[in-house]
Amino acid sequence: MSRKMGVLVLAMGILVGAMGLKTMVSANAKSTVMMANGCSPVPPPLPPPKN
Amino acid sequence: MPDRIALVIWVLGITADVCLIATSLIRGSFLKYFFLNLYVILAMSADLSRQFVLRTWGLNSVEYHYVYYYTDCLLTIALFVAVISLASRVFAELKLDKFVRITAVLLLLGTAGFSYGVVAQSTQRLSTSFTNELSQNLYFVGLVLTYLLWGAVLKLHETRTRLVQMVLALGLYFSAYAGSYALVNLASKYEAVLYLGPLLGCFLPISWSLTMLRHSEDSRLTPARLVAVQR
Repeated sequence: MSRKMGVLVLAMGILVGAMGLKTMVSANAKSTVMMANGCSPVPPPLPPPKN
Repeated sequence: MPDRIALVIWVLGITADVCLIATSLIRGSFLKYFFLNLYVILAMSADLSRQFVLRTWGLNSVEYHYVYYYTDCLLTIALFVAVISLASRVFAELKLDKFVRITAVLLLLGTAGFSYGVVAQSTQRLSTSFTNELSQNLYFVGLVLTYLLWGAVLKLHETRTRLVQMVLALGLYFSAYAGSYALVNLASKYEAVLYLGPLLGCFLPISWSLTMLRHSEDSRLTPARLVAVQR
């Protein structure tokens, strides 16, 4: 397998692994995945938009 | 969240950011670890702007929500680039740094495409949904990359103390976030769990500052000893 092919397979493998992990973690969760960079307080989720 | 505790955590975070940038400049490592410093500078700018919006419009405002999540997406991309810069340094001796960069670009494009695919059906707040989705997906890609990097550091017997400790700190940071996420879902009724996110935000600049302060670029260690079982 060429190096280019190897890089592509590696990138796809990481992507599939990461998305699988996310699905597994968020499957039984009540809220969305909490992601927070920095030290500011996390805002509460927005209410659904009014039609 | 009570204002006073949030403010203490915010001051701690900003102080840690300033400490890291100052230490990098004093120890002459600012350009050597440019992307790590860039992440911290962006985090500091984001926290300053978030604090301004928080004071002006309040925690529950739409303005704070947008500023928080848009800057968060930017910071996640910056953190992803910082992880890739560390991976480039680890694999540079094997002359694989070029392939690490190509993999990074492919991953970024793949994650953006996947995130767009997920939110494309949404007709409302498309850009907001996209930034949230991209931020979360990139976080998980960063998590997997950091664990791979952790494995590579052990397998390649990386000896550069600073590099090893920075990678370890990133691994701990991502793991702690995963743990805090589980805790938020398990014990969401307790207000204390809401402090975990902002507190963890202080962890990276503090640990990287300590690494910069305690070790020089020439410091070496043997990571294999960390996992070797003494018989």
